[in-house]
Amino acid sequence: MALLGPNGAGKTTLVRVLTGLVKPDAGTARVLGIETWDCPRELRAAMGLVPSGDRSLYLRISGLENLVFFGRLNGMSRREATARGRELLEIVGLADSARLRSGFYSHGMQKRLSIARALLTRPRVLLIDEATHDLDPAAASAVRDLVRGIADEGAAVLWATQRIEEIRGFADGVTLLREGQAVFQGTVSQLIALAVPRRYVLRLRNGYDSAGQALEPLVRDAVGGRAEIASAEDGDPQDYLLHLAEDAVLGEVLASLTAANVDVLACREERSEIENAYLNLAGGGS
Amino acid sequence: MTTVASSDRHGPLGALVGELRKLPAFVRRDFIVAWSYRLPFVGDWLGLVLQAFMFYFVGLMVDESKLPTFGGSQVSYLEFVAVGIAMSAFITLALGRVASGMQQEQFAGTLESLLMTPTSPATVQLGSVVYDLIYIPIRTAVFLVVIAVAFGLDFHLDGLLPAAVVLLAFIPFVWGLGIASAGTTLTFRRGSGIVGLGSTVLVLFSGAYYPLDLLPGWLATLAEGNPITIAVDGMREPLLAGSGWEGIGTAILVLVPLSAVSLTAGALVFRACLRRERRRGTLGLY
Repeated sequence: MALLGPNGAGKTTLVRVLTGLVKPDAGTARVLGIETWDCPRELRAAMGLVPSGDRSLYLRISGLENLVFFGRLNGMSRREATARGRELLEIVGLADSARLRSGFYSHGMQKRLSIARALLTRPRVLLIDEATHDLDPAAASAVRDLVRGIADEGAAVLWATQRIEEIRGFADGVTLLREGQAVFQGTVSQLIALAVPRRYVLRLRNGYDSAGQALEPLVRDAVGGRAEIASAEDGDPQDYLLHLAEDAVLGEVLASLTAANVDVLACREERSEIENAYLNLAGGGS
Repeated sequence: MTTVASSDRHGPLGALVGELRKLPAFVRRDFIVAWSYRLPFVGDWLGLVLQAFMFYFVGLMVDESKLPTFGGSQVSYLEFVAVGIAMSAFITLALGRVASGMQQEQFAGTLESLLMTPTSPATVQLGSVVYDLIYIPIRTAVFLVVIAVAFGLDFHLDGLLPAAVVLLAFIPFVWGLGIASAGTTLTFRRGSGIVGLGSTVLVLFSGAYYPLDLLPGWLATLAEGNPITIAVDGMREPLLAGSGWEGIGTAILVLVPLSAVSLTAGALVFRACLRRERRRGTLGLY
């Protein structure tokens, strides 16, 4: 389950409420049927948290010592915690760095260590807050694969993020938060269905004379009041940004361009459909 | 998936044992961290030795007839002040570390991760200072032995154990003040200055560095009720007068209830502050 929303939407606050670290202003929050405020120890042992940022680890001690320490706070003996720590370091790909101070880990390694810590008790619920926001694509992909594997084993995973491209093909469901309110709950497909794209990037060529008549006035005349058109920001003289008017139909606009002897070489949405849906619902669309 | 069994199911005693079994993990963590800062570790001991040298030379100027007698014998200034130095260093260090232990977790960003484990806040608080509560008394004892040997001080060896008992009875008093301070620091983010000022005032009017007879009468009377005065005198009696166990009776009778009150009050203040921060959602802020 993805928890999606822009900065300040309340994702982290909700995660903290679910962990029992924060008391909700009103109402109650339940995880596994248990109220989270004054969270009983059994519930805390059944939940794993991967907090945002990388300051939740002890940077002066090794990755393995971090896991052993938190394992012991979860009620394991030193022997059990060490064995579980080694097992998890192997799973998250940090076995070779087990004895290295975690302060020397890269962001990606620290995030994987943080996930390993959250898995110490084999939690039934895993709460992940902005796990990949500061990772490079390869490290982010590794973290997502890791979490997908955990979910496949039966854990419920709540993945809070503001990066919508992360959730396609990854999350089963999505809740979109806006200013503390859930403005959408459903599947990723349902979210995408809400997309109403109005902005397109067109790649055009002057069909009369490639060296002669200026293209932009010709295009403006062709689309008339059905759209606004401007040079695209990418600096390519053949690329234009088309912003459809409220009732205009894309096909008709493209047909009128063709009729004006303007070759439409390519047409793509300026944003992905999921991004459009997100911006429409989160209030950031234009 | 399974969860780690909580010790709660074994009743209150089992839960208590389960919590106590977590403390060695904190000791190990803090030892590794302390050892990773070798220079400050050595510097701490060097500072203590230099302080002893300073008081040795000051002692050469002091008129010993103005010092109190112990067991009918005149003592040197260094013998008189050694216990004071050790105790004031103990109080300053212990109070500072206990007060700042939780704040250090806040600064490091690890406090919420700790509280997410099935560990009681009291254990987290105790755990954050347990290394210091072990290390600082050992440091105090070692200092007294080293200074006695190095400067040929005439301490009664059979007074070491009774003096240690006085110190043990005094630890919860300092600990209670420290916990209360830790709670207020958790809430108001600052407060170490007030703790430092408070401990300086208490040490200043404790007879640690000079006899209380030198103070104005009313102030000397007030200072005699100072718990630090009672602890310092309680340690001097067996060490300097050779009064053995008999010499510490009064100190123990006063210190034990004082320590109980201090520790209880400190725990209540800390608990209230922690609940307030969790309610407000500002636990991770500093």
